[in-house]
Amino acid sequence: MTTILFLLGRRLLTAIPILLTVSVLLFVALRLLPVDPAAMSMPPNATTEDIEAKRREMGLDKPLPAQYAIWLRGAVHGDFGKSIQLRRDASQLVATSLPATVQLALCAMLIAGTLGIGGGLLLFHLRGGPAETIGDLGTTVLLSVPEFLWALLFILLFGVLVPMLPFIGQLGPQFSVASVTGFLLLDTLLAGQPDAFISALAHLVLPAAALGFAFSPAIMRVLRSSLLDVYHEDYIRQVRLRGIGEWRILVVHALPNAALPTLTLMGVQFGFLFGGTLLVEIIYSFPGLGNLMVDAVRNADLPIIQTVGLTYCIVVLLIGMVVDALVLILNPRLRTP
Amino acid sequence: MTIAASRRGFLALTAATLATPAIVRAADADVVTVAWPSDVPGWDPNQRFTPDAQSLFKAVFDQPLEQDTSLKLIPHLITQWELSPDGMTMPVELRDDVQFHNGDKMTAEDFKFTFFDRIRSTPGLDIANSWRKVQDIEIQSPTKAVMHFSSPAPTAPVWLAFLGSYVVPKGYVEQVGAPAFAQKPVGTGPYRLVEWEVNGRIVLERNDKYWGPKPAIRRATVQIIKDPSARVAAVQSGQVDIAINLPVREAVRLQSEPRLAAELDPITRIILLQVRNDLGFEDANVRIAAHHAIDKGALSRAFYNNAAVPLSQLATPGTPGYMADFTIKYDPELARQLLAKSGFGPEKPAKIGFATTNGQFPSDYDIARAIAQMWRRVGIEADLQVIEYPKYFELNRGHKLPEATLYSFDNATGDPEIFVGYMLNPKLPFSPWQDMVLGQKVIDLFNVADANKRFAGWQAIDREAMEIGAKIPLVQSVQTVVRQKNLAMTKYANGWVLAQTMRWT
Repeated sequence: MTTILFLLGRRLLTAIPILLTVSVLLFVALRLLPVDPAAMSMPPNATTEDIEAKRREMGLDKPLPAQYAIWLRGAVHGDFGKSIQLRRDASQLVATSLPATVQLALCAMLIAGTLGIGGGLLLFHLRGGPAETIGDLGTTVLLSVPEFLWALLFILLFGVLVPMLPFIGQLGPQFSVASVTGFLLLDTLLAGQPDAFISALAHLVLPAAALGFAFSPAIMRVLRSSLLDVYHEDYIRQVRLRGIGEWRILVVHALPNAALPTLTLMGVQFGFLFGGTLLVEIIYSFPGLGNLMVDAVRNADLPIIQTVGLTYCIVVLLIGMVVDALVLILNPRLRTP
Repeated sequence: MTIAASRRGFLALTAATLATPAIVRAADADVVTVAWPSDVPGWDPNQRFTPDAQSLFKAVFDQPLEQDTSLKLIPHLITQWELSPDGMTMPVELRDDVQFHNGDKMTAEDFKFTFFDRIRSTPGLDIANSWRKVQDIEIQSPTKAVMHFSSPAPTAPVWLAFLGSYVVPKGYVEQVGAPAFAQKPVGTGPYRLVEWEVNGRIVLERNDKYWGPKPAIRRATVQIIKDPSARVAAVQSGQVDIAINLPVREAVRLQSEPRLAAELDPITRIILLQVRNDLGFEDANVRIAAHHAIDKGALSRAFYNNAAVPLSQLATPGTPGYMADFTIKYDPELARQLLAKSGFGPEKPAKIGFATTNGQFPSDYDIARAIAQMWRRVGIEADLQVIEYPKYFELNRGHKLPEATLYSFDNATGDPEIFVGYMLNPKLPFSPWQDMVLGQKVIDLFNVADANKRFAGWQAIDREAMEIGAKIPLVQSVQTVVRQKNLAMTKYANGWVLAQTMRWT
């Protein structure tokens, strides 16, 4: 346990320069864009003098390093600037939108993991037979459909053609739930509103499935390949010679070892999946970070873009740490500092 | 953006093949769910000028004056008003029976706070730009006040019913501060805001103590659905009761749905080409030829199902500045002759830059491409470039817009000063036309208070602007509304969609 904590601590320390580097890259890239944040934060009929005053107020008249230093000082104190479009604290807007995206991404990962592991096991089971080609073809088809297309397909199939599930927002219009944690599923339970919980869950199914379907085929393929590799190991041959059944060999002996690369992949995938929420949130009118980001890009709302970009980076780093911890727990050989 | 186009196409194609869908949610007698394309920028109605948010603000707040369905000014919080002949003062009388949602009574103090005190004490309010001329508001009693202006303000009554002019509660705003007010607003409007999920939904509950006619709908949920295809699917599946700003071809398709009513209504919004008076457009022959070369009827047929009225002036039919007898005809031969006079033709085209947005309003990019093709036929070669709408003002301020820019100008009041004056005043940020010969006439007319002289003056300027090619109006914009057939609502000439006018039949 101490070793795991030590390794995680080291990972945490390396996250600081990564975050700083990303923040510098984001800051410089956004400042190089041909937009004037001062002009854009003022009404159309503001005078040139008004805009110049705003530019001074925002520190945009200073050299770029000085501007970054001002931004960094604010960021360290939790002040990421004000949204140009909404004129509200960027950190507050991001904090309000983040839980919806995290909840969506976790549910999507659950679906992707379930489909991916189930599909991977099925593909492995079909190996060598005529069905293997069909399985390969199936995963290729799944791989080639992007998440936004799944999103539209599901709306058409389960929202319009056979209207089974809601596809607008994250709660039915008849419900109101007080926000406590920001995570709606949790808040509905805390509020003792089981009907609202079911409604929130139903609203999550299609967007989470759209993301999950898009990210599951890679998991299927990696798991199958890992299992094929593991099955060539000597220890599998030995347990088979001991007369242990195939099912037990697969679940007890092969899967834990084959799971490591799959788990690592899922960690990496989660970062992509988090980014994939952008279009899916717009299509499903989901009030998350992706929705906020699309608006910010459209309106060149630099403080929001910068804050959301950093948030993505932090989430990816955190997920990386969680996956590292899981891998360390599952594989004792990696625990050497 | 390619993705968006293909998604829409895909959805339209597939949805068109579907059988009549079942309704997911049966209509409730006193609730309604509305699909809206954009969120409010915050709930401080004085802070940002966002035309699309006005219908939402009007649910929670009241304006001093109101417009009827044909845009005529009518009493609202103000029962009587009279602008002095010189346009320098305007006594107003307020209702005595209006309460804010928190129980505070609305008085002239709130009126003064909104239109005078707040503008000076709170930086960054857009409303400050429309009420710069207010020198003082003299309170004579809790229901009587006099607005004093620093220069003639002929459109002051109109502005009391326009963008951002909503009375806010002095006591509450001072108590909680502007940022908290923008999160949890208190207005006098027919609905109270009970929930706001940024980019998600807005839940409104009827204000049972409303001073005016009580809304028939008790609870209105506004779902923010930015994707047009998703709005189509939502109203088609019955997950929302009404959706606005759908793609025209989808609205036309939904007209055949037996339980839906789909409408394409021309509104007080003009789609036009903003024009520079220099660079490749310095020559008036080229500008005027560019106008004659555009077949606006074809644009209306191709992109608006023929519902958009072709325009040759900066006014929409039915508004005071509209000249029924004035038109700039589509005449490609005349365009060729004008270009030939300046030494241009299909073999040696006049070269200009042409900017457009993509997705700011329906079919904007496609309209620009069609215009570029029409121009090519007569001898104008346009270099088409896409800009983001928020960049327009910045580019214009820096004189970096190209010769022509496709633009959409909204004027819910229909007043000609806000159409012609705002679009041609070189001191305002909207127009890239910087010629002071026409510009000075425009600036001078801003100070004329007499209504008849004003309207005649704006018509004359509009005519002159068209004749020298200072603007190229294209069509009157169309708003699409698709609703459940048994959901009735009042239709306004400026496109407002108000929950307080909705009712189930």
